Amino acid sequence: MTSLSTAAAGAIDAFKIYGKDDSEVRALDGVTVTFASGKFTAIMGPSGSGKSTLMHCLAGLDSLTSGSITIGDTNLATLNDKELTLTRRSNVGFIFQAYNLIPTLTALENITLPLDLGGTPVDQQWLDTVVDAVGLRSRLNHRPSELSGGQQQRVAVARALASKPRIIFADEPTGNLDSRMGTEILTFMRHAVTDLGQTIVMVTHDPVAASYADRVIFLADGKIVDELDNPTADQVLDRMKRLGS
Amino acid sequence: MAAPVTRLTIRGVIARKWRIFLTILAVVSGVAFVSGAFVLTDSVKKSINDVFATLSEGIDIEVRTSIAFGDEATAERDPVSVDVIDVVAAIDGVRLAEGNLLRAATVIKSDGEPLRTSGPAFGIAWVGPDGLDGRTIVEGRPAAGPSEVTLDKSSARRAGYEVGDTVTIVGPAGKGDFVLVGLNGTGKTTNGGGASIAAFDPVTANEFLGAENMVDSIYVAIDEGADRDAVMAAIDAALPDGLEVITGEQSAEETAGAINDIIDIFGNVLLGFAAVSLFVSAFLIFNTFAIIVSQRLRELALLRAVGASARQIRTMIIGEALVVSVIATLLGILAGMGVAKGIVAIFNAAGAAFPSASLIVSPRTVIASTVVGVGVTVAAAIVPALRAARIPPVAAMRPELGFNSLQKNKRLVVGSITTGIGLVLFSIGVFGQPGGTSGTLGLSAVGAILLFLGIASLSTTVAAPASRVISRVLPLPFRPMTRSVPGRLGSRNAQRTPRRTASTASALMIGLALVSTVSVVASSVQASFKEQLQGSVTADFFVSNGPGNFQGLPVAFSERLSELPELSAVSPFRAATAQVNGDTKQIGAVRGSAFGQLVDIDLTSGSVESLDDGKILLHRDPARDYAVQVGDTLSILWLNGTEQQIEVGGIYDDATIAGNWLVGLSTLQAVSTATPTDFFIGAKIADGVDIEDARAAVEEVALDFPSAEVQDQAEFQQSQEDQLNQLLIIIYGLLIISIAIAVLGIANTMALSVFERTREFGLLRAVGMSKRDLKRSIRWEAVIVAVFGASLGIIVGIPLGLAVTTALPSTFITTTVVPVNTIIVILIASIIVGVVAAMPARRAARLNVLDAISTH
Repeated sequence: MTSLSTAAAGAIDAFKIYGKDDSEVRALDGVTVTFASGKFTAIMGPSGSGKSTLMHCLAGLDSLTSGSITIGDTNLATLNDKELTLTRRSNVGFIFQAYNLIPTLTALENITLPLDLGGTPVDQQWLDTVVDAVGLRSRLNHRPSELSGGQQQRVAVARALASKPRIIFADEPTGNLDSRMGTEILTFMRHAVTDLGQTIVMVTHDPVAASYADRVIFLADGKIVDELDNPTADQVLDRMKRLGS
Repeated sequence: MAAPVTRLTIRGVIARKWRIFLTILAVVSGVAFVSGAFVLTDSVKKSINDVFATLSEGIDIEVRTSIAFGDEATAERDPVSVDVIDVVAAIDGVRLAEGNLLRAATVIKSDGEPLRTSGPAFGIAWVGPDGLDGRTIVEGRPAAGPSEVTLDKSSARRAGYEVGDTVTIVGPAGKGDFVLVGLNGTGKTTNGGGASIAAFDPVTANEFLGAENMVDSIYVAIDEGADRDAVMAAIDAALPDGLEVITGEQSAEETAGAINDIIDIFGNVLLGFAAVSLFVSAFLIFNTFAIIVSQRLRELALLRAVGASARQIRTMIIGEALVVSVIATLLGILAGMGVAKGIVAIFNAAGAAFPSASLIVSPRTVIASTVVGVGVTVAAAIVPALRAARIPPVAAMRPELGFNSLQKNKRLVVGSITTGIGLVLFSIGVFGQPGGTSGTLGLSAVGAILLFLGIASLSTTVAAPASRVISRVLPLPFRPMTRSVPGRLGSRNAQRTPRRTASTASALMIGLALVSTVSVVASSVQASFKEQLQGSVTADFFVSNGPGNFQGLPVAFSERLSELPELSAVSPFRAATAQVNGDTKQIGAVRGSAFGQLVDIDLTSGSVESLDDGKILLHRDPARDYAVQVGDTLSILWLNGTEQQIEVGGIYDDATIAGNWLVGLSTLQAVSTATPTDFFIGAKIADGVDIEDARAAVEEVALDFPSAEVQDQAEFQQSQEDQLNQLLIIIYGLLIISIAIAVLGIANTMALSVFERTREFGLLRAVGMSKRDLKRSIRWEAVIVAVFGASLGIIVGIPLGLAVTTALPSTFITTTVVPVNTIIVILIASIIVGVVAAMPARRAARLNVLDAISTH
């Protein structure tokens, strides 16, 4: 366990309940977890285990039924829509499985979008670092439709990094990519954590993807059932098999 | 670097340019009518004012008879005695005083037919080469002596005459032959501005035009250096009672003002077109933006997720509407100039001879067009923008969580309240009629708008079940449709998004509600008019000037007819303006001894013959308003200031032909010295005379009055009905525009929703649906939506129409008719509308299957 002061985000007694009585579904059933700064964490679990819900709530995209979520020192439950927006803008980065980019903006404009929306000046040096790291220098003026799937996903990663957020959430970032592209993205995310000091939380059900993380959390039926530090793909696969049985 | 919201907005518009093309088109049409109305009125007024300013350049002062009340410009003034010209000429400082005489005189073309003009046909007194009236000689010389005339150049050409020819002209006193010695012009033009102008020397004019030593007014030019105010005062002091002195500028302004009022009517008709088309366009705009927002659900959610505030999203969507509206407004203003130019061209082709004018786009035109174009577009985009701002960021990953739409109950309540308020306002407007015509129109228009909005909102609730019913009932003639897969899909799609089905149908609903309302009112007015005409016309012949000629017949005609032994009763119908107890009224004048045999006015008390004893007859409505009965007296103030106490000689029920007020011819003649003309003449055949013989006798007299048209009873009734029908055609034309925009709306929605369902169609094609079936399914959906809108429109429009007919005075409406045929035509037309509107959507069927399903 990491001490709270170095935690980038966390959930305490998080419940997310849909429906009522007989049709009640507990997507999150009392989850308490913290995510350390400067670490790469993977959340795994079978379909319907609540891993996406957990991530949506952690990112302030969705609200809990009860319990609390903190990003840095801020309790998200106390924020209204406007404050949530500001928190997302400055503290959170996103990488989605697909449809990550605004089709009408160029790659560069997509990358700086969160900064532009907040009126924050672009840190050119950091931007250069990020752009070079994802290797997109030559494609910056292209529209998403002119980029390959892997390139689009790299733009999304660059966007998530551009505002130097406290934490980046990635939702199946390699789900739509072939394995070579996937490896490229994962390597880059690893690089962002190790060398650039970023914090990433990634939802995935690919054991290979999870093996890039520092720590894997396993979810089943809305509860944390297991976790693993410095995992290998085989270890993850093994745990997943046990969960499935 | 541009602000991100601005950039997103502009890129958003560019990316969706084809999808908002139809929206722009709709806004353009509305704005074009607004700007067209202003450009037209401004430009034509300017040029007409210029013409009158030029014409009156030489006139410093005008002397004319004064009127007691009413509009200075259009009043039928009494003439001025020629003796006054000498009185005025003798005043110190007067350089020139000349009589202005202008009377109806028709030129007979070289082929024997009367020359038809778009303006009036005038005969005037030519006052010499230094004439103050702006008339010029462009060829030959002025007329001098009793057998010479000049014509304006364009009329001479159209009538087929050249200088030296003999021209037949019909004046108030009869026919005459004159030698054409020259061609005249007016100001800088060689035509009479749409009128035909025959100029005689003053003595001939006095005789031939039946002026009896009177002139219409006196034009005065003053000596160089003379003080105009002093000269005017001196003239005024020397004038007999009942005459007044005005400046030349004021006279020109009045004349131009009267014509400007007519131009304003055209402008107002165009503004009416604008109002209807913009109101319908607003629905189209709303719809387009609502769909664009829902299509961009994930994009908008993504923006929210990466840090865009709700406000930024709102600003972006409204900004897109703003960009669209600015483009549309600019195009609309340009199109409006085209509209104005086109209308001038159409009128000129019809012979109106508007002076050629450069188009004037005044700041007011630009401001009004912008306010309307931008205002309507942005207002219509507000609700979609608010909806977009409520999209939760999580929808970026879970699109199904996208919209929490307005709750059904809330919409029902809001819709009902809006409908209710609309209904109340409309009823107050139509039945209460507060604040006269403008109050009635304003209230009922606002009421109708609210009513339409309310029903549009309520219709969402019934859209799904109604679509189901339509899809069951409509195909009965071609049954297999319901069972087939395309039929089922089309129908389900119409039910799937009731909100969209309803708002798409709304535009058509409004158009057709207006059409239904108007057609109920129009059919009722038509039927009532026909019924009343049949009940009241007992004359065997009517003589009037042909259609489009408002000048009236010379009095001599009815006098000659009265002498015919074949006719037993002859009466002209004249009109005069007077004030009754302070209210301005049009009063008809007829021959009391004959009128009762020609028109059945349904007299309830008194006698028609009492008219010849100087009494007045009135319809029961004014009799009620003024609380008078036979034997009471009314105070009548005639235009020239004569006031009389006139006894009521009778009260009648049928005002179809007689109007509300009638006096005897003798009463009018005793009061006014203005040259009378007759609107029409009614005649009854004497006992035992064959109708053919009688007609031949009438026609023979008519030979001397070539513009006159002799009609028997049936022909007269038909021509009256035709006039009414012409008016109705204009109204229907206005409504067709609203329907055209509604069709654009459905086409737009279909195209957009098909685009949205690309993957679905791809899937259908992948599992084996043929292109043909796919097209059929789309077409079927559009037809259901169109029929739904049409049905709603008819359901709303017919009661509105019935309400209006109930509220109209019984003078107009005696029978109420629901035009079943028109309604059936509307329903069938709406099916066609659906088929047509589905055409742009057919592109979907051409999609490559693989492309369709791989689209993100």
